[in-house]
Amino acid sequence: MDWAVIPRNLHFLLGGLVLTFELAAFSLAGGFLLGILMGLGRLSSRKWIYYSATLYVNFFRSLPLILVIFWFYFMVPFIIGRPLGDFFSAIVAFIAFEASYFAEIFRGGIQSIPQGQVMAAYSTGLGYFSTMRHIVLPQALRNMVPTIVTQCVIIFQDTSLAYVIGLKEFLRRTSLVDARELRSLELYLFAGLVYLIFCSIGTIASRRLEKRQVQIRR
Amino acid sequence: MIEISNMSKWYGDFQVLKDITEEIKPGQTVVVCGPSGSGKSTLLRCINGLEPFQEGQIIVDGVSVGDPSTNLYKLRTEIGMVFQRFELYPHMTAIQNITLAPIKVRSKPKKEAEDKAMELLQRVGIPEKAHEFPANLSGGQQQRVAIARSLAMEPKIMMFDEPTSALDPEMIKEVLDVMIALSKGGMTMIVVTHEMGFAREVSDEIIFMDEGMIVERGSDISFFQNPKNPRTKEFLDKILL
Repeated sequence: MDWAVIPRNLHFLLGGLVLTFELAAFSLAGGFLLGILMGLGRLSSRKWIYYSATLYVNFFRSLPLILVIFWFYFMVPFIIGRPLGDFFSAIVAFIAFEASYFAEIFRGGIQSIPQGQVMAAYSTGLGYFSTMRHIVLPQALRNMVPTIVTQCVIIFQDTSLAYVIGLKEFLRRTSLVDARELRSLELYLFAGLVYLIFCSIGTIASRRLEKRQVQIRR
Repeated sequence: MIEISNMSKWYGDFQVLKDITEEIKPGQTVVVCGPSGSGKSTLLRCINGLEPFQEGQIIVDGVSVGDPSTNLYKLRTEIGMVFQRFELYPHMTAIQNITLAPIKVRSKPKKEAEDKAMELLQRVGIPEKAHEFPANLSGGQQQRVAIARSLAMEPKIMMFDEPTSALDPEMIKEVLDVMIALSKGGMTMIVVTHEMGFAREVSDEIIFMDEGMIVERGSDISFFQNPKNPRTKEFLDKILL
């Protein structure tokens, strides 16, 4: 074992970690927003909205993420006639993919709010969007926080798949260092440790939030 | 104020409301009673357009509820509604519950809406609870906040859907007192309730519904003394002991 390989390449590796976080942050923000829209669509009484959203959600949930990443990397430039760039195409792929998961989280969260709350809001003259924004979503989001945090952890792990299109995120850089230094054991143990730490923080946070919610409801 | 003529409603093949005709004049209080599942709550929800109906007509303050061109959101600002389970927004304080619609729908300045809310809380007797969350209020207090929330839109009509049936007995009176004061103050009210004491004191008319139909109606004295329909008699015997 030669652990010196880690500090020797730490700067390079940390650069990858920053990229990993950037990927995760953009995917989260975009996936979250698109997910709300799709989740609302899945609850729409208008048939065409319901079917479009359902088609979208089922479509992306049936595909492996790695395939979606390849698609956006190879197919979108083909359609729009110019390359998207690897970072951008990865983010678009992640957003499209994660939105389908967030949509189902939102649908469940919104459905957990009693219909009487909506009726009460409507009966005072509030419209659909005001009711969603002020009454349903704040309560639903609160119920969904633990699930959302768990999904963040999953997104964080999922970003490692961006290596297939050559994006130099954390795991990709680890393997690049390995190719140069031939220290697989040390490097991959280190990479595992890093993922473990960040994901554990998320998992613990999610569990804490869950506990706090049980207390609020009582 | 409210004119319902030959109104019918179906859920799929099941007819919930059958040929309902009823007129409520401004300032009147009409009590609706009847066994559960007789369509009372559904009737209220049809009046403010929370549920569609398929036949007949409902005219509220000159506006046809069933007309597709009617702006139901605007109509609902004129009709307050109070629910059995209060339905206060649990993530907002009492005063936020009350001011939300005036601020968002009527675009009232926050200060003005809050002053009005405090005045209403005074009227329902719990100004000191303005900044409490619903979870910290008793059932009776929650229902009074809910009434204040409806009144904040200054509606022309108030509808109550079994407002006291989810309450512990000792809290029923505080809610009924507020409703009695409203009725005596000239509010047009439709009240689904089995509180016959309330009905006796303030109602101008009592309607008895069964299986989606109005099977009996009368001013309070005739209604209680000699119900014509055997179902009404049976029902009254049950609830009056």
